[in-house]
Amino acid sequence: MISCTEFIPAYSELFRFLETRDGEKAVTGFWEYISDHFLNNLRELVKEHGIKGCWLYWNRTLNEEAADFTMELDEDAGEFRITMHHCPSKGRLLTMTHIRPYPEYCLHCDILYRRVLEPLGYTYEFDSSRIDQAACSIIVRRKDT
Amino acid sequence: MAKLKIDRQASDNTYLHKDFHSALNTGLEYLETHYSEQAVRDYLRQFTLAWYAPLTKSLREKGLSVLREHYERIFALEGGVAEFHETPDDLQIDVHENPAVTHMRAQKIAISPLFVETVRTVGKTLCENTPFDAELLHYDETTGRYTQRFYRRGL
Repeated sequence: MISCTEFIPAYSELFRFLETRDGEKAVTGFWEYISDHFLNNLRELVKEHGIKGCWLYWNRTLNEEAADFTMELDEDAGEFRITMHHCPSKGRLLTMTHIRPYPEYCLHCDILYRRVLEPLGYTYEFDSSRIDQAACSIIVRRKDT
Repeated sequence: MAKLKIDRQASDNTYLHKDFHSALNTGLEYLETHYSEQAVRDYLRQFTLAWYAPLTKSLREKGLSVLREHYERIFALEGGVAEFHETPDDLQIDVHENPAVTHMRAQKIAISPLFVETVRTVGKTLCENTPFDAELLHYDETTGRYTQRFYRRGL
Protein backbone atom coordinates (compact mmCIF):
# COMPACT_ATOMS: atom_id res chain seq x y z
CA MET A 1 0.00 0.00 0.00
CA ILE A 2 1.11 3.52 -0.72
CA SER A 3 0.41 5.84 2.20
CA CYS A 4 -1.42 9.10 1.60
CA THR A 5 1.65 10.72 3.20
CA GLU A 6 3.64 9.50 0.18
CA PHE A 7 1.25 10.92 -2.37
CA ILE A 8 3.23 14.05 -3.22
CA PRO A 9 6.24 12.17 -4.61
CA ALA A 10 3.79 9.77 -6.30
CA TYR A 11 2.05 12.71 -7.96
CA SER A 12 5.36 14.32 -8.96
CA GLU A 13 6.53 11.05 -10.46
CA LEU A 14 3.23 10.66 -12.36
CA PHE A 15 3.77 14.08 -13.98
CA ARG A 16 7.26 12.99 -14.99
CA PHE A 17 5.96 9.66 -16.33
CA LEU A 18 3.37 11.43 -18.49
CA GLU A 19 5.83 14.00 -19.79
CA THR A 20 8.34 11.30 -20.71
CA ARG A 21 5.67 9.43 -22.66
CA ASP A 22 3.88 12.27 -24.42
CA GLY A 23 5.42 15.62 -23.57
CA GLU A 24 4.12 18.58 -21.56
CA LYS A 25 0.68 18.46 -23.17
CA ALA A 26 0.11 15.06 -21.58
CA VAL A 27 0.74 16.54 -18.14
CA THR A 28 -1.58 19.48 -18.80
CA GLY A 29 -4.20 17.06 -20.11
CA PHE A 30 -3.99 15.10 -16.90
CA TRP A 31 -4.38 18.23 -14.78
CA GLU A 32 -7.50 19.13 -16.76
CA TYR A 33 -8.84 15.63 -16.22
CA ILE A 34 -8.20 15.86 -12.47
CA SER A 35 -9.95 19.22 -12.38
CA ASP A 36 -12.97 17.88 -14.25
CA HIS A 37 -13.24 14.53 -12.46
CA PHE A 38 -11.75 14.98 -9.01
CA LEU A 39 -12.59 18.51 -7.89
CA ASN A 40 -16.37 18.09 -7.85
CA ASN A 41 -16.34 18.79 -4.11
CA LEU A 42 -14.93 22.30 -4.69
CA ARG A 43 -17.27 22.83 -7.63
CA GLU A 44 -20.36 21.82 -5.64
CA LEU A 45 -19.37 23.87 -2.58
CA VAL A 46 -18.95 27.03 -4.66
CA LYS A 47 -22.20 26.41 -6.52
CA GLU A 48 -24.02 26.03 -3.20
CA HIS A 49 -22.29 28.63 -1.02
CA GLY A 50 -20.80 31.09 -3.50
CA ILE A 51 -17.31 32.32 -2.68
CA LYS A 52 -17.65 30.93 0.85
CA GLY A 53 -17.42 27.52 -0.82
CA CYS A 54 -13.72 28.25 -1.39
CA TRP A 55 -13.30 28.79 2.34
CA LEU A 56 -15.13 25.56 3.15
CA TYR A 57 -13.07 23.56 0.67
CA TRP A 58 -9.60 24.82 1.53
CA ASN A 59 -10.29 25.03 5.26
CA ARG A 60 -10.48 21.24 5.28
CA THR A 61 -7.77 20.38 2.77
CA LEU A 62 -5.09 22.79 4.01
CA ASN A 63 -5.60 21.78 7.64
CA GLU A 64 -5.38 18.08 6.73
CA GLU A 65 -2.24 18.84 4.74
CA ALA A 66 -0.75 20.65 7.76
CA ALA A 67 -0.02 23.73 5.69
CA ASP A 68 1.44 26.97 7.03
CA PHE A 69 -0.98 29.56 5.68
CA THR A 70 -3.25 32.54 6.14
CA MET A 71 -6.73 32.30 4.66
CA GLU A 72 -9.11 35.24 4.32
CA LEU A 73 -12.69 35.53 3.16
CA ASP A 74 -14.64 38.73 2.58
CA GLU A 75 -18.05 37.74 1.29
CA ASP A 76 -19.26 41.33 0.84
CA ALA A 77 -16.25 42.14 -1.29
CA GLY A 78 -16.55 38.77 -3.05
CA GLU A 79 -12.92 37.95 -2.36
CA PHE A 80 -11.11 34.89 -1.04
CA ARG A 81 -7.38 34.77 -0.51
CA ILE A 82 -4.82 32.15 0.53
CA THR A 83 -1.32 33.24 1.43
CA MET A 84 0.73 30.07 1.56
CA HIS A 85 3.70 30.75 3.79
CA HIS A 86 4.99 27.22 3.41
CA CYS A 87 3.32 24.70 1.12
CA PRO A 88 3.56 21.20 2.59
CA SER A 89 3.67 19.59 -0.86
CA LYS A 90 6.32 21.79 -2.43
CA GLY A 91 8.15 21.93 0.88
CA ARG A 92 8.42 18.15 0.89
CA LEU A 93 9.64 18.06 -2.69
CA LEU A 94 12.30 20.66 -1.98
CA THR A 95 13.71 18.66 0.91
CA MET A 96 13.73 15.26 -0.77
CA THR A 97 17.24 14.33 -1.69
CA HIS A 98 16.84 10.98 -3.41
CA ILE A 99 14.23 11.91 -6.00
CA ARG A 100 14.15 14.70 -8.57
CA PRO A 101 10.84 16.59 -8.29
CA TYR A 102 8.90 17.40 -11.43
CA PRO A 103 10.14 20.93 -12.21
CA GLU A 104 6.71 22.39 -13.05
CA TYR A 105 4.99 20.69 -10.13
CA CYS A 106 3.32 23.84 -8.79
CA LEU A 107 1.62 24.71 -12.08
CA HIS A 108 -1.08 22.13 -11.37
CA CYS A 109 -2.46 24.46 -8.70
CA ASP A 110 -3.00 27.12 -11.34
CA ILE A 111 -4.74 24.90 -13.88
CA LEU A 112 -6.82 22.70 -11.55
CA TYR A 113 -8.58 25.44 -9.60
CA ARG A 114 -8.81 28.03 -12.38
CA ARG A 115 -10.65 25.47 -14.49
CA VAL A 116 -13.25 24.98 -11.73
CA LEU A 117 -13.71 28.59 -10.63
CA GLU A 118 -13.68 30.67 -13.82
CA PRO A 119 -16.71 28.95 -15.39
CA LEU A 120 -18.59 29.61 -12.13
CA GLY A 121 -18.08 33.37 -12.45
CA TYR A 122 -14.84 34.00 -10.55
CA THR A 123 -11.39 35.24 -11.44
CA TYR A 124 -8.41 33.26 -10.21
CA GLU A 125 -4.96 34.71 -9.63
CA PHE A 126 -2.05 32.45 -8.78
CA ASP A 127 1.24 34.03 -7.75
CA SER A 128 3.98 31.47 -8.22
CA SER A 129 6.90 33.90 -7.94
CA ARG A 130 8.15 32.39 -4.65
CA ILE A 131 7.58 28.69 -5.25
CA ASP A 132 11.32 28.10 -4.90
CA GLN A 133 10.68 28.85 -1.20
CA ALA A 134 7.49 26.71 -1.14
CA ALA A 135 5.44 29.92 -0.91
CA CYS A 136 2.63 31.15 -3.17
CA SER A 137 -0.73 32.87 -3.05
CA ILE A 138 -4.11 32.66 -4.71
CA ILE A 139 -6.85 35.26 -4.92
CA VAL A 140 -10.37 34.37 -6.04
CA ARG A 141 -12.76 37.23 -6.84
CA ARG A 142 -16.37 37.29 -7.89
CA LYS A 143 -16.43 38.74 -11.41
CA ASP A 144 -19.10 41.33 -10.56
CA THR A 145 -16.89 42.94 -7.88
CA MET B 1 -22.04 38.13 5.08
CA ALA B 2 -18.95 36.60 6.60
CA LYS B 3 -15.55 38.17 6.95
CA LEU B 4 -13.21 35.44 8.13
CA LYS B 5 -9.49 35.02 8.63
CA ILE B 6 -7.39 32.17 9.95
CA ASP B 7 -3.67 31.69 10.43
CA ARG B 8 -2.28 28.18 10.71
CA GLN B 9 1.18 26.83 11.20
CA ALA B 10 2.23 23.38 10.07
CA SER B 11 2.62 22.32 13.70
CA ASP B 12 -1.07 23.04 14.38
CA ASN B 13 -2.15 19.93 12.46
CA THR B 14 -1.12 16.37 11.67
CA TYR B 15 -0.21 15.68 8.05
CA LEU B 16 -2.85 13.16 7.01
CA HIS B 17 -4.94 14.08 3.98
CA LYS B 18 -6.68 10.87 3.01
CA ASP B 19 -8.22 12.37 -0.12
CA PHE B 20 -4.77 11.82 -1.60
CA HIS B 21 -5.72 8.14 -1.87
CA SER B 22 -8.61 9.20 -4.08
CA ALA B 23 -6.34 11.45 -6.13
CA LEU B 24 -3.94 8.57 -6.73
CA ASN B 25 -6.92 6.41 -7.72
CA THR B 26 -7.92 9.08 -10.26
CA GLY B 27 -4.38 9.07 -11.63
CA LEU B 28 -4.46 5.30 -12.14
CA GLU B 29 -7.88 5.57 -13.78
CA TYR B 30 -6.48 8.22 -16.14
CA LEU B 31 -3.49 6.10 -17.11
CA GLU B 32 -5.69 3.09 -17.78
CA THR B 33 -8.25 4.93 -19.89
CA HIS B 34 -5.82 7.18 -21.81
CA TYR B 35 -2.95 4.70 -22.14
CA SER B 36 -3.27 1.10 -20.98
CA GLU B 37 -3.30 -1.23 -18.00
CA GLN B 38 0.40 -1.76 -18.57
CA ALA B 39 0.96 2.00 -18.26
CA VAL B 40 -0.45 1.80 -14.72
CA ARG B 41 2.07 -0.90 -13.83
CA ASP B 42 4.91 0.91 -15.58
CA TYR B 43 4.16 4.11 -13.69
CA LEU B 44 3.94 2.36 -10.31
CA ARG B 45 7.21 0.57 -11.02
CA GLN B 46 8.90 3.87 -11.94
CA PHE B 47 7.54 5.52 -8.80
CA THR B 48 8.62 2.62 -6.59
CA LEU B 49 12.14 2.50 -8.02
CA ALA B 50 12.52 6.23 -7.38
CA TRP B 51 10.70 6.85 -4.13
CA TYR B 52 11.43 3.62 -2.30
CA ALA B 53 15.08 3.34 -3.39
CA PRO B 54 16.32 3.81 0.22
CA LEU B 55 13.83 1.19 1.45
CA THR B 56 14.98 -1.31 -1.17
CA LYS B 57 18.60 -0.61 -0.21
CA SER B 58 17.76 -1.31 3.43
CA LEU B 59 15.88 -4.47 2.45
CA ARG B 60 18.97 -5.69 0.61
CA GLU B 61 21.24 -4.88 3.56
CA LYS B 62 19.09 -5.72 6.58
CA GLY B 63 16.38 -8.09 5.43
CA LEU B 64 12.63 -8.27 5.74
CA SER B 65 12.38 -6.53 9.10
CA VAL B 66 12.69 -3.16 7.32
CA LEU B 67 9.55 -3.90 5.30
CA ARG B 68 7.73 -4.89 8.46
CA GLU B 69 8.76 -1.64 10.14
CA HIS B 70 7.77 0.38 7.06
CA TYR B 71 4.31 -1.13 6.78
CA GLU B 72 3.71 -1.15 10.54
CA ARG B 73 4.40 2.58 10.55
CA ILE B 74 2.05 3.25 7.63
CA PHE B 75 -0.83 1.23 9.00
CA ALA B 76 -0.46 2.79 12.45
CA LEU B 77 -0.37 6.28 10.95
CA GLU B 78 -3.44 5.74 8.80
CA GLY B 79 -5.47 3.72 11.28
CA GLY B 80 -5.36 0.50 9.29
CA VAL B 81 -5.45 -2.97 10.77
CA ALA B 82 -2.79 -5.47 9.74
CA GLU B 83 -1.10 -8.56 11.16
CA PHE B 84 2.53 -9.34 10.51
CA HIS B 85 4.05 -12.83 10.54
CA GLU B 86 7.79 -12.68 10.14
CA THR B 87 10.70 -15.09 9.95
CA PRO B 88 14.18 -14.20 8.61
CA ASP B 89 13.14 -15.54 5.19
CA ASP B 90 9.45 -14.74 5.05
CA LEU B 91 7.11 -11.88 5.90
CA GLN B 92 3.37 -12.27 5.50
CA ILE B 93 1.14 -9.22 5.91
CA ASP B 94 -2.57 -9.81 6.47
CA VAL B 95 -4.39 -6.53 5.97
CA HIS B 96 -7.79 -6.62 7.63
CA GLU B 97 -8.59 -2.96 7.11
CA ASN B 98 -7.10 -1.11 4.18
CA PRO B 99 -7.14 2.64 5.00
CA ALA B 100 -7.01 3.72 1.35
CA VAL B 101 -9.95 1.60 0.22
CA THR B 102 -11.91 2.26 3.40
CA HIS B 103 -11.57 6.01 2.87
CA MET B 104 -12.56 5.90 -0.79
CA ARG B 105 -15.56 3.70 -0.08
CA ALA B 106 -16.70 6.11 2.63
CA GLN B 107 -16.41 8.94 0.09
CA LYS B 108 -18.35 6.84 -2.48
CA ILE B 109 -15.40 6.98 -4.88
CA ALA B 110 -15.42 4.42 -7.71
CA ILE B 111 -12.24 2.48 -7.10
CA SER B 112 -10.07 1.62 -10.09
CA PRO B 113 -9.86 -2.15 -10.70
CA LEU B 114 -6.11 -1.55 -10.98
CA PHE B 115 -5.81 -0.05 -7.50
CA VAL B 116 -4.63 -3.53 -6.48
CA GLU B 117 -1.40 -2.71 -8.33
CA THR B 118 -0.49 -0.23 -5.58
CA VAL B 119 0.07 -3.40 -3.57
CA ARG B 120 1.15 -6.00 -6.16
CA THR B 121 3.41 -3.95 -8.45
CA VAL B 122 4.82 -1.89 -5.61
CA GLY B 123 5.63 -5.03 -3.61
CA LYS B 124 7.30 -6.82 -6.54
CA THR B 125 9.29 -3.72 -7.49
CA LEU B 126 10.45 -3.11 -3.92
CA CYS B 127 12.19 -6.49 -4.12
CA GLU B 128 14.01 -5.89 -7.40
CA ASN B 129 17.77 -6.33 -7.02
CA THR B 130 17.37 -7.85 -3.58
CA PRO B 131 17.44 -11.50 -2.46
CA PHE B 132 13.67 -11.28 -1.93
CA ASP B 133 10.47 -11.45 -3.96
CA ALA B 134 6.82 -10.67 -3.30
CA GLU B 135 3.49 -12.24 -4.15
CA LEU B 136 -0.05 -11.15 -3.54
CA LEU B 137 -1.89 -14.15 -2.15
CA HIS B 138 -5.31 -12.56 -1.85
CA TYR B 139 -6.95 -9.22 -2.59
CA ASP B 140 -10.60 -8.35 -2.04
CA GLU B 141 -11.48 -5.59 -4.49
CA THR B 142 -14.52 -4.54 -2.49
CA THR B 143 -12.91 -4.09 0.92
CA GLY B 144 -9.24 -3.81 -0.03
CA ARG B 145 -8.34 -6.56 2.43
CA TYR B 146 -5.31 -8.46 1.26
CA THR B 147 -2.55 -10.90 2.10
CA GLN B 148 0.89 -10.19 0.73
CA ARG B 149 3.97 -12.32 1.18
CA PHE B 150 7.59 -11.26 0.89
CA TYR B 151 10.07 -14.15 0.83
CA ARG B 152 13.67 -15.03 0.13
CA ARG B 153 14.11 -16.27 -3.43
CA GLY B 154 15.08 -19.88 -4.04
CA LEU B 155 13.67 -21.33 -0.84
